[in-house]
Amino acid sequence: MSRHEPDGAELEALLARCAAGDRAALETLYARVAPVLLAVLMRILRRRDAAEDALQDVFVSVWQRARQFDPIRGRALAWLVSMARYRAIDLQRATRPAVALSEVSPLEPQLQSQGPGESGGMLGTGDLLVRCLEQIAAPQRRCLMLAYEEGLTHSEIARAVNEPLGTVKSWVRRSLIALRRCLES
Amino acid sequence: MNYEQAELLDRLAAEYTLGTLRGRARRRFERLCVDSAAARSAVYRWEDHWSTLSRTVTPVEPSPQVWAAVSRRLFGDDTAAGSAPRVRRRRIWQLAAAAAAVAVVLIAGLIMRQAAPPPLQTLAVLGTDTAHPVWRLERRLPLAALTIEVVGKVPPAAGKSYELWALPRGGAAPVSLGLLPAAGSAERTLSERQRTALLAADKVAVSIEPAGGSPTGNPTGPIVIVTNVPVAG
Repeated sequence: MSRHEPDGAELEALLARCAAGDRAALETLYARVAPVLLAVLMRILRRRDAAEDALQDVFVSVWQRARQFDPIRGRALAWLVSMARYRAIDLQRATRPAVALSEVSPLEPQLQSQGPGESGGMLGTGDLLVRCLEQIAAPQRRCLMLAYEEGLTHSEIARAVNEPLGTVKSWVRRSLIALRRCLES
Repeated sequence: MNYEQAELLDRLAAEYTLGTLRGRARRRFERLCVDSAAARSAVYRWEDHWSTLSRTVTPVEPSPQVWAAVSRRLFGDDTAAGSAPRVRRRRIWQLAAAAAAVAVVLIAGLIMRQAAPPPLQTLAVLGTDTAHPVWRLERRLPLAALTIEVVGKVPPAAGKSYELWALPRGGAAPVSLGLLPAAGSAERTLSERQRTALLAADKVAVSIEPAGGSPTGNPTGPIVIVTNVPVAG
């Protein structure tokens, strides 16, 4: 699979030890996932200092909420990445001014190279989400990726792809419905 | 739950986890997740799917100060290597403590960023603003106990204590909920009077009192924090 993906079972064991108050476990967990979470945070917050502040907050929350993590409910990495993304989204309004198109454009090549359509080599072929994303038309898929990876709002996406806001909203809504159907099939 | 409701929940969960659900709609959905197991499981399903995308990111090594700061905030470990205090945070608090006569009104309320199962419910996060939390209050209904955790830097207050108060709706007298811990966490068993007061409260407040707490049973020092709390359901 990927060279970057931490081992899920190990993460779950570390979270269980954190829940039991084991500080060393938090430090190990940090070593395993902080670089991935920082990358996620930097894509959304754009500034390293803001992303590092957010990373701090995320790990404070991880320690405090470790006992709320229920392995039956979801995978450890999903829980950690989501916590980071939601923190970044909550901080965005405070730290990031409205995004101008000129700021968004340089990120497009990255998206192209990391987009699901081109990533078959990086993500295992067994990856259901990626296979389902590939079935969505490129412009619509790009809207989803801008939202997920860059943390853009509907309006920011509309500016980035130069489409009316209403079009973008309905693209996102319909793509998500199509994605759900594909994921369930 | 009928099919349409399940569809709607799934769509909201999809936009919530994708990040396009924003503002008040986002907060409303977070509140819904507190009570709705169906909403929570829709969120977990989408989080699991989306997280496969994070495998494509190129990891970025954080600077050493980040771990030092986490360790200091959680364990009060000031000796961590590369320790660089968050000056801005500290300064804000020194100001708050020094100019304590001015009430610092804050936002808090139900924090449910990551959907988590009840019954442990975050009652309020106390700090200068949402980005700089200092104490977190959690309750378990039917509210026999309150958990208070230090989640940030407690501003130094030499020879003083921080005392927590429930402010009942309708302006009845504040009821002390005890002192706030300076470090770590405290589980406080509530007396019947405290329990009733907190259930009837729409706000909690923090005042600076002589060491050991208010000598009179009412706040005597400056109130430095007032924040709304969700009405007990």
